[in-house]
Amino acid sequence: MSRHHRRKQRFKLSSFYVWHRYMGVSAAVFMLIVAVTGLLLNHTEDFQFDSEQIQSDWILDWYGIKAPDTMRTFLAGDRHVTLMGEHLYLNRREIEGNYRQLVGAILFKDTFIVAMSHSILLLTRRGELIEQLQDKDGVPADIKQIGIDTDGAVMVRTSHGYYQPDTDFISWKRRDENFTGVRWATPSLLETRLKTALQHHYRGEVLPVERVILDLHSGRFFGRLGPWLFDAAAVLLVLLSLSGGWIWLKRRR
Amino acid sequence: MLRKLLFLLIPALLCTTLLAEAVYQEPDDFLRETFSGKVPEPAVIWLSGERKQFAKQLLGHRYPSLRVRYWRQNRRSAWVLEEIGKDLPITIGLVINDGLLEQIKVLVFRESRGWEIRHPFFTDQFKDARLDEDNTLDRDIDGISGATLSVRAVKKMATLALFLDAELRKQDVAPSP
Repeated sequence: MSRHHRRKQRFKLSSFYVWHRYMGVSAAVFMLIVAVTGLLLNHTEDFQFDSEQIQSDWILDWYGIKAPDTMRTFLAGDRHVTLMGEHLYLNRREIEGNYRQLVGAILFKDTFIVAMSHSILLLTRRGELIEQLQDKDGVPADIKQIGIDTDGAVMVRTSHGYYQPDTDFISWKRRDENFTGVRWATPSLLETRLKTALQHHYRGEVLPVERVILDLHSGRFFGRLGPWLFDAAAVLLVLLSLSGGWIWLKRRR
Repeated sequence: MLRKLLFLLIPALLCTTLLAEAVYQEPDDFLRETFSGKVPEPAVIWLSGERKQFAKQLLGHRYPSLRVRYWRQNRRSAWVLEEIGKDLPITIGLVINDGLLEQIKVLVFRESRGWEIRHPFFTDQFKDARLDEDNTLDRDIDGISGATLSVRAVKKMATLALFLDAELRKQDVAPSP
């Protein structure tokens, strides 16, 4: 092999090496993200990333997560029972589960009776769920209002008549009389401080940490271009492996 | 190629969705069947004090409500309980006769995996099961591969129902004040 040819080969190898380094540096940031998030995703359950929710305002804003501005609230005794989205709150305490169509709430003998259109919740003063009563438990369908009658008993008005539970809320009876003087629960206004607190709580309950890690892993966290950037990084990694292998082979010769 | 793939994927996705909630028997029908059409009035047992603690220890979390409904005729009681397998609740019907588990039946299954627990080859293992002195099932229950969490949920519900039934029987023999 001539001297000229050897010099040309060395030049080729060193320029390839430079390219190899640049590709390595460019892919490093992405690879770090992919590796770290991959490790975390492998231990989602250990770290409870599937049940922990993101609280950071800027991440929630980045995802465009907003709390509903409209909410329905009833004043029962001295507490507000509020439905925001599908989240139900007794003052600031969230009641476990998802709920829809809150129609009223009253305080009855130290128990909060919360009426949805198709179920009734019994809550302690501390907000613990005593029982959720549904149609299978004899609760009438399509509840429109809940209130307390003139004898101090609970009464619900449905689209097909009036119903009353027994004292333990185990069975329900239809009442055919015309009722007057029932104190029906009516929606009330939520004070601004409580409203803000609930909106803050709501936002902090909808985005699991796992989702953000997954989005970081796939690049979706960085917007529409994110997955393309991560694809490019993957291609760089492939090239990096090939060029690394090639340089190694050339040096051995 | 893409079209072929879609033909394969769409039915698979539809099947997964359909399997998402399977009602094998309505709870009302389960009760009617258990009591030969004459379902007794329901009653409730409160999960307070030691019962609450036991349920929490057994389930690994608080039982979602403070009282549990049951139906009882003489020394035979029926329970419809729910426990989450992986993500969604499984509704289970249980019949206990004089402290022995007479029947256990999966009524509604909402998870995407683990539905095999509804088959008799699994539920028959609980036949005549009872609680030991340390409030655990008196036998080992063979699991099902791929249904570990559902199997665990059924075992927990069997233990809870037997425990609550024992609590009811304790009340029966309690001396009047």
